[in-house]
Amino acid sequence: MRPLSLRAAAAPAATVPATAPVPAAVAQPGEPPADAVPLSLVGVGKRWRGADEPVLSGVDLKLDIGTATWIGGRNGAGKTTLLRIAAGLIEPDRGRVQAWGYSPRERRANYHRLVAFLPAGDRGLYARLSVRQQLRFWAGMTMLDRATGERLVEDSLRRFDLGELADRRVDRMSMGQRQRVRLAMTFLPEPETVLLDEPLTSLDSEGAALLETAVAALLERGGALLWCSPSGDHPEHEFDRDWLLEGGRLVRASGEAQR
Amino acid sequence: MSELRASLWAFRVVLGRDLRVYLSYRSRLFSQALTSVFSLTLFYYVSRLVHVSGFASPADYFGFVIVGIALVGVLYSCFSVAETVRQELVAGTFERLVLSPFGPVRSVIAMAVFPLLYAFVLAAFTLTLGWLVFGLNLHWSTVPLAVPAMALALLAFLPFGLAFAALTVVMKQGNVGVSWVIALISIVGGLYFPISLLPEWVQTATEFQPFTPATEMLRHLLVDSPQTTSALATIGRVTLFAAVLLPVSIWTLGRAIRESQRRGTIVEY
Repeated sequence: MRPLSLRAAAAPAATVPATAPVPAAVAQPGEPPADAVPLSLVGVGKRWRGADEPVLSGVDLKLDIGTATWIGGRNGAGKTTLLRIAAGLIEPDRGRVQAWGYSPRERRANYHRLVAFLPAGDRGLYARLSVRQQLRFWAGMTMLDRATGERLVEDSLRRFDLGELADRRVDRMSMGQRQRVRLAMTFLPEPETVLLDEPLTSLDSEGAALLETAVAALLERGGALLWCSPSGDHPEHEFDRDWLLEGGRLVRASGEAQR
Repeated sequence: MSELRASLWAFRVVLGRDLRVYLSYRSRLFSQALTSVFSLTLFYYVSRLVHVSGFASPADYFGFVIVGIALVGVLYSCFSVAETVRQELVAGTFERLVLSPFGPVRSVIAMAVFPLLYAFVLAAFTLTLGWLVFGLNLHWSTVPLAVPAMALALLAFLPFGLAFAALTVVMKQGNVGVSWVIALISIVGGLYFPISLLPEWVQTATEFQPFTPATEMLRHLLVDSPQTTSALATIGRVTLFAAVLLPVSIWTLGRAIRESQRRGTIVEY
């Protein structure tokens, strides 16, 4: 597989502002704060019931506009937990999560309009629906109007080269094809912040290239990417920021501590 | 697009999904129609075999029990939302709904719409078949009123399904209690026999649930069964149950989802 370059191409991180107004799609008068960033985690901690040690202990993370960030770590280090918290799927025991000034707790609908999450694995699809039906369903859940939804469904089919599979039922597809459908759903509503948990699972080189293109478009329009995968995956890719999750805290991939 | 229009569209999208999934199992409609045929046949002969006090003729009991059978289907549909939630948890699609702007609470409510509409159609099929094949005496002048009455009854029944859905989100197995709860409702709701046959203290307990008055209301409209209270009082009782229980069940579902997010168990199944 050829290396993916996920560095911002059209708008290098060093030349774009780290913060920006909230995208017009959800901006409302008087809010949110002007220092909105694609994702901000402050002092996030989580301890699972019955565990001696917290899986996350005071994680701070900020994604800047137009940047791709990678978080690695060994199995069970807490990467998926961190992503689930960042996505607003589960709540931290302590700390604060915000994207574009919105909290997943207080303004959940706005948060989820802007932040998309691809969970690890191959779940999250309706087996008896075709690819197109799956995408249309998701467009409805993201509360897009019918015309916009239809346009974005067709865009997604094209973006992930699913045109020929559009009318095939998901339970009759290969794992790699399903992964493309999951990616297509993630990118469908044109989110501003994308969180990917082991996105290369089952993808062939062509699928990986399609993902690279989608990520490049995200960064180009001023979005941000957070990608988690086991440490062994990292040498294949280039990111603007590299972190490792160790002992519940983020450390620079080079070994430098977070703070 | 306004929030309301977007929400209505999302409801329609969920309904469309459920219809497509249902139609993808081609034998299901045939199988359920066959179940109705056999139930009707069974109770047609039971009504001729057993003398039940309070009924002037076997045909009266047949009319009584057919409405009960139709309502059992509706009850199963109300509670099926718990099983649907369980399936969504296992498939990993529930977490998608949690992460959607439409949100999990509205999604679960929307999931209840297709089974309820389907139960409505199946109930109409059962009654029509009873009329055409088994000579069921439908009271045609009030049958159209049974449609809004059924809608009201659904609003009063649905909170129980939502409560079980909430239990499923938290416990992952809330749906296992559905069968015995429906059996219990069948007894205290008077679906198969009049509640006047039950001990007095059980009859008193029926005052505290919507199934008995709703069943009585629908029986009166469909087969002209006598009512124990005035129609207005019955409608008032069912409306009150719906007005109180629906917001409470929606709030409970929201709390259950929130608690699962806090504990991190929303992704478990």
